[in-house]
Amino acid sequence: MRKHLVGWLCDAALVLYFLFALFPIAWMVILSLKPADQLFSTYFSFSPTLDGYRTVLGDSEGIPFVRFFVNSLVVSVGAVVLSLVVGLPAAYASARWRFKGSENLMFTLLSFRFAPELTVIIPLFVLYQKLGLFDTYVGMVWVLQLVTLPLIVWIMRSYFADLTPELEQAALLDGYTRKQAFFKVALPLVKPGIAAVSLLAFIFAWNNFVFPLILTSNEAQTVTVGALSFLGGDRPKYNLTAAAALVSVVPPLLLALTIQRYLVRGLSFGAVKS
Amino acid sequence: MTGTGLELRELRKTYRSRGRPSVDAVRGIDLTLRSGELLGLLGPSGCGKSTTLRMIAGLESVTGGDILVGGASVVERPAQQRNIGVAFENYALYPPLSVAENLAFGLKARRGAARGSSGDIERKVKDIAERVGLTDLLDARPAGLSSGQKQRVSLARALIREPDVLLLDEPLSHLDAAQRDTTRRELKRIQKDLGHTTILVTHDQEEALSLADRIAVMKDGVIQQLGTPYEIYDSPANVFVADFVGEPAITLLPGIADGDGHARLSDAVRIALPVPVERGREVVVGIRPEDVRLTAEGGLPARVVAHEPLLESGLATLALDGVERHLVVLTDPEVRLAHDDRVRVAADPEHTHVFDAETGDSLR
Repeated sequence: MRKHLVGWLCDAALVLYFLFALFPIAWMVILSLKPADQLFSTYFSFSPTLDGYRTVLGDSEGIPFVRFFVNSLVVSVGAVVLSLVVGLPAAYASARWRFKGSENLMFTLLSFRFAPELTVIIPLFVLYQKLGLFDTYVGMVWVLQLVTLPLIVWIMRSYFADLTPELEQAALLDGYTRKQAFFKVALPLVKPGIAAVSLLAFIFAWNNFVFPLILTSNEAQTVTVGALSFLGGDRPKYNLTAAAALVSVVPPLLLALTIQRYLVRGLSFGAVKS
Repeated sequence: MTGTGLELRELRKTYRSRGRPSVDAVRGIDLTLRSGELLGLLGPSGCGKSTTLRMIAGLESVTGGDILVGGASVVERPAQQRNIGVAFENYALYPPLSVAENLAFGLKARRGAARGSSGDIERKVKDIAERVGLTDLLDARPAGLSSGQKQRVSLARALIREPDVLLLDEPLSHLDAAQRDTTRRELKRIQKDLGHTTILVTHDQEEALSLADRIAVMKDGVIQQLGTPYEIYDSPANVFVADFVGEPAITLLPGIADGDGHARLSDAVRIALPVPVERGREVVVGIRPEDVRLTAEGGLPARVVAHEPLLESGLATLALDGVERHLVVLTDPEVRLAHDDRVRVAADPEHTHVFDAETGDSLR
């Protein structure tokens, strides 16, 4: 009976937390459905309309939101792919071998995660202007490595460290090369981890605000900055910003749902050892 | 006979890391294995036996010395080119693959003609599975196998490439007692059957004694004694070997030789030595529990400290008069002893061991 009560209380607390956490999103949904002239009404009765979404996706108001959306996709996917290509071998190497300065190198990489982006943004801005990387895909993919690479290297490192090295050593004895041992033995075993960490890195890249704010202007601008464009002009159009923000939540959400089964396995890896 | 001889010459391994003193894991090992011989490398953990195995396999670099397989040095060759099979302690089976795929995996690494057709691979897998007794399990995944079965897959995987030398790393340590017995017998049969030159690394003397043709007892990176199981047991080269091999363990009693073929263990106790030792020399007398017996008269006076009836025999712990260290004696099953009983024990000097107290070396 007592357990029953505790369980019931936990459920109630969870529901309360959900209400609290989801309220901003619910608020945005309501806002995005409001017509422009009822934006500031304080009551809940209004005539819902999809005009906001039509405007945002129809590129009217002179703001190319669809392009921002595509930019975000290209830049985030590009950043994750590049980080995987560079980061997986790096993670493997740092998990398997200790070499001179290896720990310092790994710590430096980690420090990119906890150093505020704003501390480097001004010099980066100047550099990007000079190098012609300002407002380009290449420039954005590159700078997002600060976000995605440490994440991928550090998480994948622990995955590789959890693999017993004997698996690869057995392959070496069978005549496989080191490269084959990595690609054919180690890599397939950490697939769930790769899926999980890719999703995380994608979300971090997608949500990044400061880098596109300062390092892009139009061509390579992403949704996080683009959604704010609707606030400019003579009158802030909150309904359009809300619609834009909700549209931009879709890709990470879809991605998370499709690889959910990997995610659970991936994030619980290492906790349960066979 | 597919095996080839193996020779280790002055093999050394030193681990160096900055800011820490270097560690000599293996300090100059010389070993020669005949083709088809099974040698047990026996020692406590940290004695360098696994490092030696890994150096032979090519998984660990060699600091000094040479490794010869079939008369040719392989030290400069990477693991891929040594053709040495290893059955790892933790089996190292590839979880997503079935048993058959695990076995075939090792054959698929080779390129070109050496690789053989897929029919060839299939035939080899079937063949080895039959020899090792895995035919019914070829479609199973490693996760579904018992430890004993995993060990056999691991062994089959090492054998399928027809290696020149087979290395077994603690092959039975993860098995329960019943599986250990059957797997040990299987292992012996398979090794004799296929005739691979084999090194068995183990810390378990029972494993080494029952499987090996010869045993090398290792400690601190040095081979303490090399010989047949009987030689190791009957005439241990030093205190360490005597203490490490034998279950229940040998009793080691410090004493002083009195020059007339005896050693004085206390004011009241003198024990006969197998060899004459000059008067006044400090010695350690070793007596195995199975080499002492209770006797009605003569022998040495002792008091019973404890008696463990173990059904097929008993184990008595005795305090010899005035001797600090207790003597362990194997007793007949019908013997009943109680705490503080007075008894007399006799040790056969033929089976008594005597070591120098300082160096630990046998004086026999």
